[in-house]
Amino acid sequence: MGMVSSLLPHLINGLALGLLFALIALGFTLIVSVMEVINLAHGSLFALGAYIAMVIISPDLVMLGAAGELYGDLPLAVRYVIALVLAPLVIAVIGFGLEILLRRTYGKKKEYGLLLTFGAALVFEEAIRLVWGPAERVLPVPPGITGGFIFNGMIYSNYRIYAMVFGAAAIGVVWLFLNRTPYGAIIKAGAHDDEMVRALGINLPRLRMLVFGFGAALAAVAGIILTPIWGLRPHVGVDATIPAFLIIVLGGIGSFWGAVFAGLLVGLVVGITGAYASDWSILSMYILLIVVLTFRSRGLLGKKTALEL
Amino acid sequence: MLTSPTGAPIVTKAMLVLFAILFTYPLWAKYVGLYDYLGIEIAIFALYALGFNLLLGYTGLPSFGHGAYFGVGAYGYSMAMVELGTSPLVGLLLAILAGAVSAGLVALFLSHRRGIYFALMTIAFGQIFWFLSIKLRWLTGGEDGYLNVLRPVVELGSLKIDFGSNVTVYYFAAVLLALMVMLLWRVVHSPFGTALQAIRMNEVRARSAGYNVWLVKWTVFTLSGAVAGLAGGLLALTQESAYPNVMSLHASGFVVMMTLLGGGFVSFWGPVVGAALFILARDILGAATEAWLLWYGLLFIVVMLFEPEGAVGAWRRLAGLFVRPARREASPKVVP
Repeated sequence: MGMVSSLLPHLINGLALGLLFALIALGFTLIVSVMEVINLAHGSLFALGAYIAMVIISPDLVMLGAAGELYGDLPLAVRYVIALVLAPLVIAVIGFGLEILLRRTYGKKKEYGLLLTFGAALVFEEAIRLVWGPAERVLPVPPGITGGFIFNGMIYSNYRIYAMVFGAAAIGVVWLFLNRTPYGAIIKAGAHDDEMVRALGINLPRLRMLVFGFGAALAAVAGIILTPIWGLRPHVGVDATIPAFLIIVLGGIGSFWGAVFAGLLVGLVVGITGAYASDWSILSMYILLIVVLTFRSRGLLGKKTALEL
Repeated sequence: MLTSPTGAPIVTKAMLVLFAILFTYPLWAKYVGLYDYLGIEIAIFALYALGFNLLLGYTGLPSFGHGAYFGVGAYGYSMAMVELGTSPLVGLLLAILAGAVSAGLVALFLSHRRGIYFALMTIAFGQIFWFLSIKLRWLTGGEDGYLNVLRPVVELGSLKIDFGSNVTVYYFAAVLLALMVMLLWRVVHSPFGTALQAIRMNEVRARSAGYNVWLVKWTVFTLSGAVAGLAGGLLALTQESAYPNVMSLHASGFVVMMTLLGGGFVSFWGPVVGAALFILARDILGAATEAWLLWYGLLFIVVMLFEPEGAVGAWRRLAGLFVRPARREASPKVVP
């Protein structure tokens, strides 16, 4: 059994993790680019999305009455797909609300907006604790994607492979949306020069609201895919946001491929370190960041932006 | 009157008011429902936030990982007391040193950055310290904390200082806070303080004006870390232990909240007011409900929406309502 084949399961874990980190980071970087706000509530939206998906998949059937029984008879896979669509939409609406609150801070010190999202993060996290309790919960997944198989003497988890494929597909969809639709063009223009976008007669407040909602929804999607691996705890959001922050800095703020590339790099480093010294896998991510930024001050693919001022 | 090179008095009226409140607190606290231990916490966090505001309010550098240096100070003090058996004063000196050295090392990586990159880098470094404090179990005790840092009885000649009593620890913390207030007031009204504000207003122009921006940023970050280390050491003295949770992202966010809640952007006194409000509100909300953080978060959102300049900003606006416009124009706008 060769070195590569014994590493392969860890590489797949790393890739799955990296692609989903990149998805969180993409939502985050969209919000930073268009609104110049570091959204500290991003991780809480990630967690909240997963909790809402859990409720949609296995709701309190007694409370729902007859309709609940009908819904409960649907196969798990169907309910899972419904959750995968509906929960991010709910989070998008919450994102709209957060953006509307943020409007009062535009044009003032950047810290005000940032601290507002920190307050929101506290609210979401405590609300989760109040509603669903502090103990770890389980997000059910359909039987088709659980379990594992043995290949070349190594055990592979089906779910990790599903997560990897899903992450790659989701990133592809985001890329198509940003580069092949008029909405994407407007968003990119808004990140580049929002005054000009306004001058062209585009409704800038609505654009910002939609971008915030879209970024939040991406966090929720990543939450639904990642939490069956990590477990669903009230502060799971923090575990997700920190890597996302690092990936943004590592890849360069506002860069799509920077985020994807850095996400993969972080995922692989965490995955491979995890194979040899699992306790230290998180630390390796920080060391990677410091090494890269010592030599490339704007990250791997970053350009000089107005955000540094 | 004695003044600093930039013309600010060494001791101000506001300082005398603060000292009067500070040194009489144990006499009246119990009649208004407060207690000595709460006073210690307020003094510690006021100290911490004052040092933090050198960065945020004066230099405009948002550090979101400041809990690291506070925590390093707490561990530094604890280890000095337990492993080396030093006196509390030496322990606190080592806490200051630990905070300064760790902040100074981190600042080597940060001092050429600003804005969002600076903020995200401080988060990353803060997380490294937090992570190490949990994982280096043999050194820090891991998540259980570094325990049994007993409060000693110190004998100075015939004078016996019993740190076992909360009143003693309170006065000790109050004296340190008073000294630090005077020191930091002097620092921000020195030529160095002018350099800090120049960097906040326009870093490029500050560099063109001949300031060594990198060195000023490095120095202020290290100084701020040293103050955080002292505050952390004091907390370890008070709690008789040190824990990793003071280094978490949340805990680092709290010092930013305190500073802004009081009005760190508009006043030197913002962090002191903010720390007092923060600790008081925590106690009041915490007594009423388990989910005090939820209400705290809501409160904070409301403050950021309607009064982002914090308590001092609100006070000035209220005071402004009663001042005739002519006088308002005559009084210069106070830069923090």
